[in-house]
Amino acid sequence: MNSDGSAAPISALNRDQLRELLTQVLAAQGKDLPAGESAELAAIGFRSLDFSELALRVEDEIGRELNFDAPGLRTIRTVGDVLDFLTELQDPA
Amino acid sequence: MSEQCVPPASVVLVSGGSRGLGLSIVEDLVGSGLRVATFARSITPELAKLADAEPDRVLAGAVDITDRAATTEFVRTAESSLGPIDALVNNAAIGQDSLHVHTSPDRLANLIEVNLTAPLLLTRLVLRRMLAGGRRGRIVNVTSICARRGFPGLVAYSATKGGMEAATRSLARELRDRALVNCVAPGFFASEMSAVLGTDQLGAIVRRTPTGHLTEPAEVLPVIRMLLLADTNIHGQTITIDGAAGS
Repeated sequence: MNSDGSAAPISALNRDQLRELLTQVLAAQGKDLPAGESAELAAIGFRSLDFSELALRVEDEIGRELNFDAPGLRTIRTVGDVLDFLTELQDPA
Repeated sequence: MSEQCVPPASVVLVSGGSRGLGLSIVEDLVGSGLRVATFARSITPELAKLADAEPDRVLAGAVDITDRAATTEFVRTAESSLGPIDALVNNAAIGQDSLHVHTSPDRLANLIEVNLTAPLLLTRLVLRRMLAGGRRGRIVNVTSICARRGFPGLVAYSATKGGMEAATRSLARELRDRALVNCVAPGFFASEMSAVLGTDQLGAIVRRTPTGHLTEPAEVLPVIRMLLLADTNIHGQTITIDGAAGS
């Protein structure tokens, strides 16, 4: 089942859905996601393996793998960067 | 030199000699008076220039190392034009910079094919011809510090390099005094594959390197040259060239 309750995988998660998964990943560690997208990941304690967890959760939702190299990951600094990166990764083009 | 020693190399096959360390190896060996055959997926202008300048001593080919038929044909051509191959430098490899969980199965298989299966097959091919011809020879496998030290983003790559080092030890046992087989394991270079490492990661490596700098290809060349030419009893070994970063 996907987060929207449907059985079939959806092709891509929108920004709100990505943000909801990010909230869940942080909540599981007792952390809150600040409002907006400008918060620094270092400040909220969101590390590289947390990004891996989030990406793998997205994969579960959309039913396909989102493999990627590390250099792109190193440019991510803010919550907005995370949402941008995952949005681009889901783009089949 | 005693009767039992493996003679110095005279005709060397270098895989991946079109750029970076591989090209430097080719240039160094040609400069040392050896005949060198080298191949890579594509021939760079630098390698073409060298081959044009030394047509009797350098043969360059555009060959994909995973193409077994093309590789075999290139070896035959090299022996026809340069003479019997009595040394091999397994240098060709592809890099990695992705966490294991985010590395696609196809990419993982490709890393193993290029970095482990292909050099083992090339080694087998060269050794079969060497043994059938009653010749002795030398093999140098270019591995990496990450064969024995962990780095994030290099899981499959490290496995292939560790595999080559393990194979080297067993090859030394199999080949006894017919061929000397060794590895050189450079630390991270400032260029090439290190270009994909983050600044923080490179900075951390430099900080824990007692010599205070990343390894340069020029620092690896004398060791390869020694393993190919010098009268030594070094066999089945890995020589690490990393400024003691991993010590």
